[in-house]
Amino acid sequence: MLQVRNGDGEMLGVLFDRYHAPLFHLYSRITGDRGSSEDLVQEVFLKILRYRQSYQPGTPFRPWLYQIARNARIDALRRTRKEVSFEPEMVKPVAPTDSAQQEQETSLLHRALMQLPEEKREILMLARFQEMKYEEIAALLGCELNTVKTRVHRALRELRETFRRLEQGIGAQGLRPGATDLLPGRQGQ
Amino acid sequence: MNCEQIAELLPDYLRGNLPAGQIRAVEQHIEQCAECRDDVAIWNKLAILPAGQPSALLGERFEALLHAYEAGREDGRAAAGASSAKQERAPARGQFDWFRSPLAGLAWGLAMLVVGVLAGTFASRTSPRTDELAAMRTELTGMRQLVVLSMLQQQSASERLQGVSFSRAEAQADPKIIGALLHTLRYDPNVDVRLAALEALSRQSSQAQVRRGVTDALQYQQSPLVQVALIDQLVEWRDPGARDRLRELQQSADLNPAVRQRAEWALSKLN
Repeated sequence: MLQVRNGDGEMLGVLFDRYHAPLFHLYSRITGDRGSSEDLVQEVFLKILRYRQSYQPGTPFRPWLYQIARNARIDALRRTRKEVSFEPEMVKPVAPTDSAQQEQETSLLHRALMQLPEEKREILMLARFQEMKYEEIAALLGCELNTVKTRVHRALRELRETFRRLEQGIGAQGLRPGATDLLPGRQGQ
Repeated sequence: MNCEQIAELLPDYLRGNLPAGQIRAVEQHIEQCAECRDDVAIWNKLAILPAGQPSALLGERFEALLHAYEAGREDGRAAAGASSAKQERAPARGQFDWFRSPLAGLAWGLAMLVVGVLAGTFASRTSPRTDELAAMRTELTGMRQLVVLSMLQQQSASERLQGVSFSRAEAQADPKIIGALLHTLRYDPNVDVRLAALEALSRQSSQAQVRRGVTDALQYQQSPLVQVALIDQLVEWRDPGARDRLRELQQSADLNPAVRQRAEWALSKLN
């Protein structure tokens, strides 16, 4: 383990200590993939080193950081040119559950989230977990404040519908052994 | 209200940003509307999603990267210092010199080892590139400044306090840091942060910008606590320009009696 004890590096370490976990959480919730999330966090700190001159003193640091984080993810997506699929490489949600039901609920919710289009997942995760104001999200995404709110609501509604569909799929599986959980949207309602 | 109207309010409702009247309207609606109620429920349910924690490897990769960068900087400085002596023997050496030093080589080797292992594990993912690390050599000369400036912008008062604390590390602070501290002294909403900024600035009294800024800050303060601290500082510095500011302060109609008394005392000291 190499140590950084002084000077600028030490201060970059402070930034790392403060932001690497929130960034990892954001990435892992959006991509559902632990490995690529860690890669992306690493990439962000590399970009901070590279592009620090573009930081405008006197402006808030966090929006600058999140812009870098977003660009890093977009670049990575461009390179891979595919969405990360949910199934085998997913971060397995390990919830501190005290019941099988909650565990199943967590798993379903996770799957529903991963079925959302990435841009909806992103805005929902920014709004729900990153403690960013809608104004900050609007600045980050380059859109109007009302557009952010509309998108949050649409993403939430889609998540809710997907979650419900998956729940019904589980129920249907119980009734009809061997049935897939990918039931048509409104079947059985 | 119908669902469409509620949809406009819901994002703010979920974040607790609505005034009480609208909260009641939303809650009345969701009591009767299962769809909107489910929207709220799924938002709340998201809390059960565990985020997971990054592995220790992430920290190790970062440290390897950082060390490679630091070694590059140190080597770059040394190379700059010795460049005239070495010019004849190594006229063609360029910006990648630092990779050749033993320390940088070790750091680079370790960084690449970690990256290599990861590249093997996660084949399609990103890793530090040579040109990027080389580019770092010429960058990042004021990370402390970046940190202080960013921390002074944080929403949390404790983080801003920490930012002020970091600023004290420099015996002779950078003008940008001074500017940020003076701005904090004037406009920070938290009294403790303003007091800490004053304390940090008091260590930079040799700079005219600091004395002038602190003196001018007096007229912006509403908190008696900060006003008294500023007055005491001006007395300590015995700055002649402080008298006019103190007299102006005395003329404020709604001045706290204790502050007025302190200003009188200060003027008697300065005269």
